[in-house]
Amino acid sequence: MKNQLRALRAAKDWSQGDLADALGVSRQTINAIETEKYDPSLPLAFAIARLFKQPIERIFEATARK
Amino acid sequence: MEKPNVIESYIPLSGQYSLQKDLRLNAWLGVTVAVYVGVLFLTKRHPDWSSGLRAFCLLLPLLPALLYVRAWVKLVRGMDELQRGIQLAAFLFAALGTVFVSVIIATLNAAGLDLGGLLRPGLGLGGIFFVMFPLWLVGTQLANCRYK
Repeated sequence: MKNQLRALRAAKDWSQGDLADALGVSRQTINAIETEKYDPSLPLAFAIARLFKQPIERIFEATARK
Repeated sequence: MEKPNVIESYIPLSGQYSLQKDLRLNAWLGVTVAVYVGVLFLTKRHPDWSSGLRAFCLLLPLLPALLYVRAWVKLVRGMDELQRGIQLAAFLFAALGTVFVSVIIATLNAAGLDLGGLLRPGLGLGGIFFVMFPLWLVGTQLANCRYK
């Protein structure tokens, strides 16, 4: 799933560790989401949207199913 | 927000290793082994004990073993969703790998190829841990690779 997490994080000048701490997840999870190797669960995606005060669909963009 | 558990805190040389956390997790494993060795010693020294008492003694290590399992469950429940997924994959890899090794040994035993008695009577209690633990480590590394 494509996402804008890296850009949003950079705009806030946060490190991956800062974002991980704010969301209560590991830094590896943030890295895996940013590199699009891991799709977060709905609760985590909503937590990210709430943190950045953005609609969820502006952060995550579904790619076509294979 | 509280930091989630990460398995690297429990793996020596991983960079995030914490001896304190490792000891806290594995304390019940130590107690289990100590109780197991103790009851083996006692039941061998007292062959006159009734079978009920012997069975009770031999099953006694299950109590600290259950507390060890509880410590693992608490550890995994304190992980974030990605780490939990990685550990689920690693546990599955270790469990299925152990079954696979057991089947290989049983097959070789059945065919009379027991390497001079080395493979008899199959994968014992200690053998299971010696196979499962490295497989869990390999499974964790393999599952981690997918997300790096």
